[in-house]
Amino acid sequence: MEQYKEKIKRRIMLFSVGVLGAAILCIYDFFVMRNLEMESMRPTMVVGFQFGLILGIGMLSLIQVIKLSKIIKDDKKLKILHNKEHDERLILIRSKSGMPMLLITSVLMIIVAIVYGHFNTTVFITLVLAAMIQLLIGLIVKLYCMKTM
Amino acid sequence: MQSKLYIFAVGDKMKTRIRELRKERKISQEELALAVGTTRQTITSIECGKYTASLVLAYKISHYFGLTIEEVFDFSDIEI
Repeated sequence: MEQYKEKIKRRIMLFSVGVLGAAILCIYDFFVMRNLEMESMRPTMVVGFQFGLILGIGMLSLIQVIKLSKIIKDDKKLKILHNKEHDERLILIRSKSGMPMLLITSVLMIIVAIVYGHFNTTVFITLVLAAMIQLLIGLIVKLYCMKTM
Repeated sequence: MQSKLYIFAVGDKMKTRIRELRKERKISQEELALAVGTTRQTITSIECGKYTASLVLAYKISHYFGLTIEEVFDFSDIEI
């Protein structure tokens, strides 16, 4: 369990870096990128999406930091989290619903969408929608497996 | 050798005595899950017969009750 505690500590550190990075990127996005987009007359949708995504990642990272900080102090909660992460049924459900490959491909698609979105809005919308639908299907399969298993 | 008669809880996949043993010893699903390193939901699924536990988990559950795997899980439906 001590090893797992160290793992959680590392995770808290990573999420803290995520919060800090997201905050810096949000400030940069808000003040620099937005002005650049206005000047170049490019569609602001991509910048808006980027801003929202970074803000969302930052918020989620902050929630994780708070949640994990509470868990690390309580041994029972730590054991429950350890069991949840190493539970064979949940591992099977995750693999049946295509995780983590589905998540990796979706993240890659969103990154490509943001980069390409600066040149073509149609490609951006298509890629984002495809990633969302992919994630939604994964979620539906996961819920179905959780009900039936 | 003394023969024992066990009544297994009926499920879709595999019959088990987990619920019965838990009730006998006044153990909650959460306590059992915590002791064998799994989640409460998995214990529920095993009890209902929705999920078949792996050999390792079956061993851990049986060991927790101080019984053998055959005494907790019913393999009579399994064809060899």
